[in-house]
Amino acid sequence: MPFGLLKYGLRKKHPGQHHFTPTKPLKSRYDVVIIGAGGHGCSIAYYLAKQHGITDIALIDKAYLGGGNTARNTAVIRSNYLTESGVNFYRDSVALYQGLSNEFGYNIMMENRGQLTLAHSDAAIRSFRWRAEVNQHLGVRSELVDRQTIQELVPNLNLAEDSRFPILAGLWHADGATARHDAVVWGYARGACQRGVELHQLTEAQGIEIEAGRVVGVRTNRGNIACGAVVQAVAGASSVVGKLAGIKLPIHSFPLQAMVTQPYKPVLTPHVSSPHVHVYVHQTSRGEFVIGGGSDPYPLYHTRATLDQREILSAATLELFPFLAQAKVLRQWAGTTDMTPDYSPIMGLSPVQNYYLDAGWGTWGFKATPISGKTMAELVATGKVPALIQPFELERFYRFQQVNEAGATAASH
Amino acid sequence: MLEPRLSEPRLPEPYGQWIDRTQAITFSFEGQAYSGFQGDTIASALAANDQWLLSRSFKYHRPRGLLTLAGQDANTLVQLSSDPNALADRVLITEGLLVHAQNFSGTLNRDRNAILGLLAPFLPVAFYYKAFFRPRGIWQLWARFFRKRAGLGVIDQGFKPKRFAQSHRHCDILVIGGGPAGLAASIEAAEAGADVLLVDENVALGGSLNYGDADLDETPDALPRDALIATVNQLENLEVLTGAICNGWYADNWIPVVQGEHLFKVRARQVIFATGSLEQPVVFRNNDLPGIMMSSAAMRLTQLYGVQPGRQGVVVCGSWEGYRAALALARAGVRVSGIVDFRARPDEGHVLVDQVQAAGIPIWFEHGVDQAIASVDQNHVAGLDIGPLQAGQVARDPVTRLPCDFVAMAGGYVPTYQLACQAGGRLLYDDAQAAFAIEGLPDDCWLAGSVNGVWHQGPVQADGVRAGKDALQALGMTGAGGEPVPKTSEGLNFVWPIFAHAKGKEFVDFDEDLQINDILNATREGYEHIQLVKRYSTAGMGPSQGRHSALTVARLVADATGKTVAETGVTTARPPFAAEQLAHTGGRGFFLKRHSAMHHRHIELGAEMMQSGAWFRPAFYGEAADKNACIQAEMNQVRSGVGMIDVSTLGGIEVRGVDAAEFLNRVYTGGFKKQPVGKARYALLINEAGVVLDDGVACRLQANHFYVTATTGGVDSVYRSMLKWNAQWRLKVDIANVTSAYCAINIAGPKARAVLARVAEDVDLSAEAFPYMGVRTGSLGGVPVRFIRVGFVGELGFEIHAPQQYGEALWDLLMAAGQDSGIQPFGVEAQRGLRLEKAHIIVGQDTDAMSNPFEIQMGWALSRKKAYFVGHRTLQELEQRPLTRVLAGFMIKDINTPQPLESHLVLDGNAMIGRVTSCMTSPTLNAIIGLAYVPVAFAEPGCCILIKVDGGQRVTAEIVSTPFYDPESRRQDLES
Amino acid sequence: MKLLRCPLNGLRNISEFIYGGEVHPLTDPRHQDARAWAEQVFFDDNAAGVVLEWWCHRPTSYWFIAERNTVTDQVIRTFASSELYAERVTFPRAGSGDPHA
Repeated sequence: MPFGLLKYGLRKKHPGQHHFTPTKPLKSRYDVVIIGAGGHGCSIAYYLAKQHGITDIALIDKAYLGGGNTARNTAVIRSNYLTESGVNFYRDSVALYQGLSNEFGYNIMMENRGQLTLAHSDAAIRSFRWRAEVNQHLGVRSELVDRQTIQELVPNLNLAEDSRFPILAGLWHADGATARHDAVVWGYARGACQRGVELHQLTEAQGIEIEAGRVVGVRTNRGNIACGAVVQAVAGASSVVGKLAGIKLPIHSFPLQAMVTQPYKPVLTPHVSSPHVHVYVHQTSRGEFVIGGGSDPYPLYHTRATLDQREILSAATLELFPFLAQAKVLRQWAGTTDMTPDYSPIMGLSPVQNYYLDAGWGTWGFKATPISGKTMAELVATGKVPALIQPFELERFYRFQQVNEAGATAASH
Repeated sequence: MLEPRLSEPRLPEPYGQWIDRTQAITFSFEGQAYSGFQGDTIASALAANDQWLLSRSFKYHRPRGLLTLAGQDANTLVQLSSDPNALADRVLITEGLLVHAQNFSGTLNRDRNAILGLLAPFLPVAFYYKAFFRPRGIWQLWARFFRKRAGLGVIDQGFKPKRFAQSHRHCDILVIGGGPAGLAASIEAAEAGADVLLVDENVALGGSLNYGDADLDETPDALPRDALIATVNQLENLEVLTGAICNGWYADNWIPVVQGEHLFKVRARQVIFATGSLEQPVVFRNNDLPGIMMSSAAMRLTQLYGVQPGRQGVVVCGSWEGYRAALALARAGVRVSGIVDFRARPDEGHVLVDQVQAAGIPIWFEHGVDQAIASVDQNHVAGLDIGPLQAGQVARDPVTRLPCDFVAMAGGYVPTYQLACQAGGRLLYDDAQAAFAIEGLPDDCWLAGSVNGVWHQGPVQADGVRAGKDALQALGMTGAGGEPVPKTSEGLNFVWPIFAHAKGKEFVDFDEDLQINDILNATREGYEHIQLVKRYSTAGMGPSQGRHSALTVARLVADATGKTVAETGVTTARPPFAAEQLAHTGGRGFFLKRHSAMHHRHIELGAEMMQSGAWFRPAFYGEAADKNACIQAEMNQVRSGVGMIDVSTLGGIEVRGVDAAEFLNRVYTGGFKKQPVGKARYALLINEAGVVLDDGVACRLQANHFYVTATTGGVDSVYRSMLKWNAQWRLKVDIANVTSAYCAINIAGPKARAVLARVAEDVDLSAEAFPYMGVRTGSLGGVPVRFIRVGFVGELGFEIHAPQQYGEALWDLLMAAGQDSGIQPFGVEAQRGLRLEKAHIIVGQDTDAMSNPFEIQMGWALSRKKAYFVGHRTLQELEQRPLTRVLAGFMIKDINTPQPLESHLVLDGNAMIGRVTSCMTSPTLNAIIGLAYVPVAFAEPGCCILIKVDGGQRVTAEIVSTPFYDPESRRQDLES
Repeated sequence: MKLLRCPLNGLRNISEFIYGGEVHPLTDPRHQDARAWAEQVFFDDNAAGVVLEWWCHRPTSYWFIAERNTVTDQVIRTFASSELYAERVTFPRAGSGDPHA
């Protein structure tokens, strides 16, 4: 029973407390500055405070809390990736997600509804089998399923054999889930602030001070702060912020658009994705259908939506669920995704000492929120790169050693 | 309290402009029959029948009724068979229309879920984040509970959509909004000769001229509506779309217009936003009861539909608009029993005060609303408690109770800013005027009318003319722009107090059932930025997207955070403006299909077709149930006799010019400079990261002319990449993608030469004259062709390329020529099997996104003597590191062993050390063969590997040298 | 949808074009150390501001260069690649004077 709600009805004065940091000036120094208060930034702050006792942290963001890609998210949580490094990483993230609401006392509304990815060609079946095999080997629930099983999992999916792109098979990921994206960042932020982390919104990093190859401070629009370490977790703005520290990155910032319909009574339980037709769909607990697809075709730092993409998403959605023709689109929007050459993130050390990177999150960032926070916190606290994220080091590109997840992302590249 | 309401007859003409009283229509709502007239919307017809209760609110299931009567609120959402979320104040009634209400349990009148309203104190803002997660995992169950209660309409899963049509419009000037400003702007522009498109969302042009009372608008120099519309109808270069909504603004004035089942995609050189204003509600306890509506809704009811908003009503206002509404209603014969005016009595008096008093309507100056009182059944307003305003609060001493069954709120306006802001306009707020203004539009967009802060007919029409002139000037069609019209100084918005009540239920956002305290508590809990308020409380996230809540929320948040409204702002307006069915943008679902020139022959021969990108290719010939047998038979036929396969989809690129060989040298890994004319060479393509992208064969037809093949799926990108390189290298070379200009057949098997010789002309096919990997030109049956002797399938074979229009003729010719030799067609599956027996790789199957040439044992395809080729530098780096994996051939002699499939893993103990990329049971070798990535240590012939197959079993395979079949490659070099 | 002005074909819908990456001066990879070469292959400016980039008009296979603001999406101008790449590029063989090697 939701006993937690009783106090709201029984007390005269609203018992709610400020979840974050009431606006106040920056101090002149912090042990750690985290640039970017999105899901990852807040997660890093949380684990630094909770697991490593480091609380002298300025968590800064040029806009509002979680206002970047976390706010614009389609919020899919899954670990059915391709590479061993990727699968291990996302598997651990999903496991952390399972207990997250209870960890920080904030309902992230995580629902394990399962995720179905559709194969419309032999090449896709091959690729899905590869993922299923690797997933199963590493303890992630994934399996190749046939048309009959697909029918049972999603009875209202269009399985007509004469449709333009007949469905041949699917990859069923029972561990797939969705959550309320805003709740994740708010829960982490609140947990961090409760432990003494200072959240400073509307605070933009404008310069990085480096001495003898080591970061010593951050200049912001609200004053300069000295610091012992910096983490940048700014997603689409990774190159821009990295440049402040003189760091070059293999990142391209592309818009990723999505749209949502009006709310309807529930008809769709799992999350359904078709890389071939370039669309993924799920129905939220509010009853709205959230629809996303491939990245925009050219880089842009503006979160505008296009009619072209709405047309592509609509046509693709109707291929899979023709009856959704009657559903109405309420709103469309975009985020700015930091895409990497191999569709894997860039985590760990940078050429600047004590300046750490949490970047290259493309279309795969939300699901990694807990594990990226935990591992980056460990790195900041100990100075050692955890084994789990070692493969994602920036240095791998200098060795021409990609960790290629091209087949397993939702992007159309 | 008032007695139960009786059905009132309609107002006499001229009221009811949009209904046709000669056409009665019967429809049903919640199983009960009602009648209305042609031209009625569902909401107006129900109102005429005294049915004001239309829906139950999202969270508390409170009774709701019409609010705007303009399709701008979500209270009127109803369920139709064709539309689970239809707007009752937009949809016209038709004979037999079945309408259902949404979101209730039991009946609409007595919704069992209304009890949730009692739980309201226990459901604080964002309550779902605050509980429902202990014990761990319990949310999964709660979610199901909430899901059933959430959502509005019920989607019909059996709905079979028909495809909605789309068309394009190009115009000089698009005018959005057919009210007085839009009419004036369109006329000005069209009279100057521009191509104008005028769009209005209502069934008729006129906008506020239709439902306003023009006589009360004290500016005599304005043109009457009928005169404006008559002029519009006469102008040939002015196209009008009514019942059409401009549903978004996109880059470069690209605007979708939805009209019925049609989507117009409009490209306008200039856009004029004459979108008017959205009237705002007044916030007080129980302001959501049916019967409480915008003053403009009351006006629409009377003017457009001839329906009385009630027997006796009160106007609540903070501007003279309320007075105009009261007088208009009184003139229509509607009983207005009072005006509650937040403002103090004007010292100097006002003509509207005199007129209202002359009409016998009492005015309570400087009063506000404490609460609305519900009727006995709780489903309608029955009275209004008002009190004097003291220090921004409504005093309860004395409280005056005004009996009424309708309330017309004239709470002020917000410009209909959405499209203008999507175009880049910024919303500014003037605290003194309590009004928004829009600025910063791009230089091909203009504002006109009340959206521009200009009110009253005369100035509004003048502003429309001004906008028309400005747009004409931007087009270069006139010299001077328009004379700016001053913004209206009359305070149309009053900073009316937001009347918080100790018992709450003062609704700020009707869609989401949010009260004042919900917003304030959100800020108290630290969600202070307007975007955080929105997301935490969900204000503005419902179907009406903040049309009636944005300003109030901004004011509350500004107050709570010590900022101005201008600093606080509102959340971003995003398309679509009105919720739009997917059917519109889904269009006709045009997905390209590509057929080869021989497509029909495959169908006639009973091929099972497969898709390869957009291409359709024969997988095999025969019934799907016999798949494996068919494929094996086709393979055997090629090995023992002769077969032919349509390979038209293969990419073909002509590279010509003095730098042709140099160009290929740079693009591909091999060497082409010394390639003799008449020879073909394997061409491997890698990218700068050293990853294998594509492969094919480069045929030197002349010293300066190469014909290069590429994979079906890769050719377009290979071609574009070639052009991009040469844009930088500027070599003297011409590159043409001729893939769809040629069709091609590969004829293979020991009898291939014999068959071909029967019909080939102008070419010597003998082994001496035409060796393996040779290229010749000649003809077949008079058709000019190129012959390439390649060995992909490992038999004597000729690939014949001809101009694509000869496809069927070529096919028929060869089938006839081969008849005596028993020729059979073979498909892609057989070809894949045959090539696997020769261990030829397929790019994209045996290579992945990281494969470099060393890993796939293609060091031989790299020229060491070239100065440069794309990717060379990277290969030099990679070569210095040990290989982590190689592609090796394996064999399982016992064909009863469970056969590994593509992507099955190779394991060493519990470690994943590789994977299978191709595998089959070979009919030729009577063994299971395949290719797999394995570590170098496992790659020597003789090594054993373990492959995990379906079901978890591990099978043992032996690494063998490749090719599996005909290792000396004698078969493709057959002499006879 | 957005319009883009192809230097060859004029103003066309953006759906007719393919984005081709940032414009970088051509270098001879043989003269770059391994790290500089890796940066050339994988790394990019990804600037928030005015950039030069390659575009291809798909129906005519015409490559050209655009100067665009990646924050506002305003295209400042488009022009033929010959403006930046005018000379024939060679990769002379080390020690050989033959420009056509």
